[in-house]
Amino acid sequence: MQTRFSWFNVTSIVLGFAFLYIPILLLIIYSFNESRLVTVWGGWSTKWYGSLLNNEQLLTAGWVTLRVAFISATFATILGTLAAIVLTRLGAFRGRTLFSGLVFAPLVMPEVITGLSLLLLFVAIGMDRGFWTITIAHITFSMCFAAVVVQSRLLDFDKSVEEAAMDLGATPVNSFFQVTLPIIAPAVISAWLLAFTLSLDDLVIASFTTGPGATTLPMKIYSQVRLGVTPEINAVSTIMIAFVTLGVLAASYVTKRSTMKAAADAQKAQ
Amino acid sequence: MRRWYVIAAPYIWLLLFFLVPFFIVFKLSLSDTARAMPPYVPVYDMTLGLANFFSQLDFENYSFLLSDPLYINAYISSLKIAAVATLFTLFVGYPIAYGMARAPREWRPTLMMLVILPFWTSFLIRVYAWIGILKKEGLLNLFLMNYGIITEPLNIMNTTTAVYIGIVYSYLPFMILPLYSSLEKISPALNEAAEDLGSPPWRAFWQVTFPLSMPGVIAGCLLVFIPATGEFVIPDLLGGSETLMIGKTLWSEFFNNSDWPVSSAVAVVLLLALVVPIVVFQRAQQREREAV
Amino acid sequence: MSELASFPAAATNAAPPRSGPRSFAPQSGFSPWNDPSQAPIVRFDNVTKQFGDFVAVKSCTLDIYEREFFALLGPSGCGKSTLLRMLAGFEQPTDGRIMVQGQDITALPPYERSDVNMMFQSYALFPHMTVERNIGFGLRQEGMPKGEIAARVEEAMAMVELKPFANRKPNQLSGGQQQRVALARAIAKKPRIMLLDEPLGALDKKLRQQAQFELMRIQESTGTTFIIVTHDQEEAMTVASRIAVMDKGNIIQVATPNDIYETPKSRYVAGFIGDVNVLEGKVSGIADGIIDIEGAVSGCHYKTRSNEPVSIGQQVWLAIRPEKVRITHDKPQSATNVVSGKVDDVGYLGSISHYHVKIGNGQRVTALRANTAMTVGPPISWEDDVWMDWPTEAGIILTS
Repeated sequence: MQTRFSWFNVTSIVLGFAFLYIPILLLIIYSFNESRLVTVWGGWSTKWYGSLLNNEQLLTAGWVTLRVAFISATFATILGTLAAIVLTRLGAFRGRTLFSGLVFAPLVMPEVITGLSLLLLFVAIGMDRGFWTITIAHITFSMCFAAVVVQSRLLDFDKSVEEAAMDLGATPVNSFFQVTLPIIAPAVISAWLLAFTLSLDDLVIASFTTGPGATTLPMKIYSQVRLGVTPEINAVSTIMIAFVTLGVLAASYVTKRSTMKAAADAQKAQ
Repeated sequence: MRRWYVIAAPYIWLLLFFLVPFFIVFKLSLSDTARAMPPYVPVYDMTLGLANFFSQLDFENYSFLLSDPLYINAYISSLKIAAVATLFTLFVGYPIAYGMARAPREWRPTLMMLVILPFWTSFLIRVYAWIGILKKEGLLNLFLMNYGIITEPLNIMNTTTAVYIGIVYSYLPFMILPLYSSLEKISPALNEAAEDLGSPPWRAFWQVTFPLSMPGVIAGCLLVFIPATGEFVIPDLLGGSETLMIGKTLWSEFFNNSDWPVSSAVAVVLLLALVVPIVVFQRAQQREREAV
Repeated sequence: MSELASFPAAATNAAPPRSGPRSFAPQSGFSPWNDPSQAPIVRFDNVTKQFGDFVAVKSCTLDIYEREFFALLGPSGCGKSTLLRMLAGFEQPTDGRIMVQGQDITALPPYERSDVNMMFQSYALFPHMTVERNIGFGLRQEGMPKGEIAARVEEAMAMVELKPFANRKPNQLSGGQQQRVALARAIAKKPRIMLLDEPLGALDKKLRQQAQFELMRIQESTGTTFIIVTHDQEEAMTVASRIAVMDKGNIIQVATPNDIYETPKSRYVAGFIGDVNVLEGKVSGIADGIIDIEGAVSGCHYKTRSNEPVSIGQQVWLAIRPEKVRITHDKPQSATNVVSGKVDDVGYLGSISHYHVKIGNGQRVTALRANTAMTVGPPISWEDDVWMDWPTEAGIILTS
């Protein structure tokens, strides 16, 4: 059936997307403002981007953030994929209900609680706070998001493909690496990207679990934002937005191309 | 057996870094503040034994929370702000999700991506973007005064209104996505059938579409309400001194007053307040998954 | 009188639901199930499978012999797929044992059952591998040398005529080609027993008939034991040496297609395989191998030749295949098994026509007649008063 846009639908979509995107666009535009005063337009300039390069603290924080995000996303994806397999493939076992509760609770848990509780754990076991405690905290909450992403893919793919692998003599481990993993690879990649950006974004949990010497970019931005709006922060924000947008666009382009190719292939087979 | 290794890795991680910390929070909420590092007593000491340790725990912090209206007000106002903001988000999100679900098929993936994209960009940055818009000499006032709609600048920044705007804006994708996925499953033929049987479009919507989209409405509302209740960044950056929210209270209790036991008690109570919605959410998710 | 001339033609031409070559007809002499010296290759020994409270398979005992093409036939949910999946190792029986060549394999996981390979209903092709890689998958698991794998894959592809598509991915193939890849992938392992779970369910009718003959050809040329699960009775009749008819987790009857059709054991089996008229009645006399039945429809008496142990007054059902019922305008001369009625409906199917006739009490009898040139006289039409009769050999007495 050919559906077409109705006036009501167009209006609600346009207004909705205007609401979603205008604040971000304004932020980007004002990052190119010559004037230091945020509300006065002083002409186009990229000087705030230049001054970022000389801001040692901001650059250090950015580097810490990227490292935390990379490590935590990688571990979170591995643990999250395992959790998704446990939930979708291993059937019933003792403690399954508790496990699925543990996987889904962090998704909605207020960050202040997660942050505080992890900090108290690190203090109780006497772990030095800093880079690694932030990383562990980020693995913990982002593995749950990764688990949900991978789980939904595992749920909708034909289980008999795995059975066929085992029927043909592949052990469960071989069948996972030779069959399941290649098929769910796109979901695993999006899980990694999601975990990466969640870590990149996090302010609250990192603030609780950090220690001396480990300041992440959001923490740096937050402390400056409290003092007011500055064009430098607009510039950093713009860079982060561009970074994430390009990543998401690239990922969606790749998936779109592969689905279009699949459609074309299917056509050819007719 | 290999199966157990697969279960053990994520299970042990979550037990150690998610469940155990909650017990520590609970234990700490029963402890007393101390000028030491860590800043609380008792610290478990092998030489004194368990009995001694337990005898030092009490509910003092909870009676303190109850006796100070600041905390009670913060709780009530958190729940109120989160509930009202959730309703606003539903009103804003529903037409968008509906429009997307009824858009031509080839447009839907693009629209989906446009909704998800802001969700991937930093939460902090998106809240920050509103400061420049809402403040007294901000872009909104500038715009409205420029076109003569108002003569005096609106005072939105540092009020509860700004917090509502911030929550609706930040959590809108969480509302739209579940709504969209349940609306998309509803065949337009159902509305056509209702109209064919004599129900005008508006009534057909209320009698057919809306009831069928309830799973999405419930999931979306819970996904907004639960984290919004404990929200810290939005009330801290956009709200004023009169905006009381429990997440902010916990933060300042911890970072400004360094009172770990009281902040733990605040966390325990916040968690208790959220247990019901969290359980409802999990049940709903379970049903969804089993229906597949 | 002219109608009489068509009787033999109707009885032979409008044959049972299928026509064409049957490679395993009992006449060919292949019947190891009748030979007590033969050991079965597969034995289900009192196998039960429960899913929670639901009993999918109820203490089934079944022997299948080497080189058989065995069909498990029944409606969806009857337990036939569960039985097959237990043999493949995907489900564990709740009770009972499964033996392959005398070895108890009940506890073995699927990847250690090297004698058994399965072709899946959904084909379950690996979407990320080419046709060649798909077919070679099972051989790579064995650690077979590369050259040998290539030769075996080549052989399997030749068998199903897939060579030109060796480098395509599954989504670049048509449904029929995918089905052949699935077949080749399992065959390449050279299993002793090949399991096929509704293998042709996704194909359209024409392709399905082709594929059925291809399956029979491959089964014969490789000498593999095939066990097929299907809900399509025509398919089972076409391909199988023996059929097990299942219902609600029970095996109702195991027999050759011919026996299943000609001597079904129950109304369920009779109704499931082909069309059948079932007439209710009570036994009123037994003499010289002929059983007299007082029909439930008043005034109807039936006589049928049968060895069924029945007693006077017992309630029985008489099953008669429509193609064995003769329909005429004039009262036939024979005195046995004659009923009269009014034509309720006529179904014209080209080569044959169905006549549904009301004989009273709401009972309908269907007769089948071939539309041959020999059929002369006025055509039978709606609301005509007609006579029907059948020989004493045509009816089968059913007691359940």
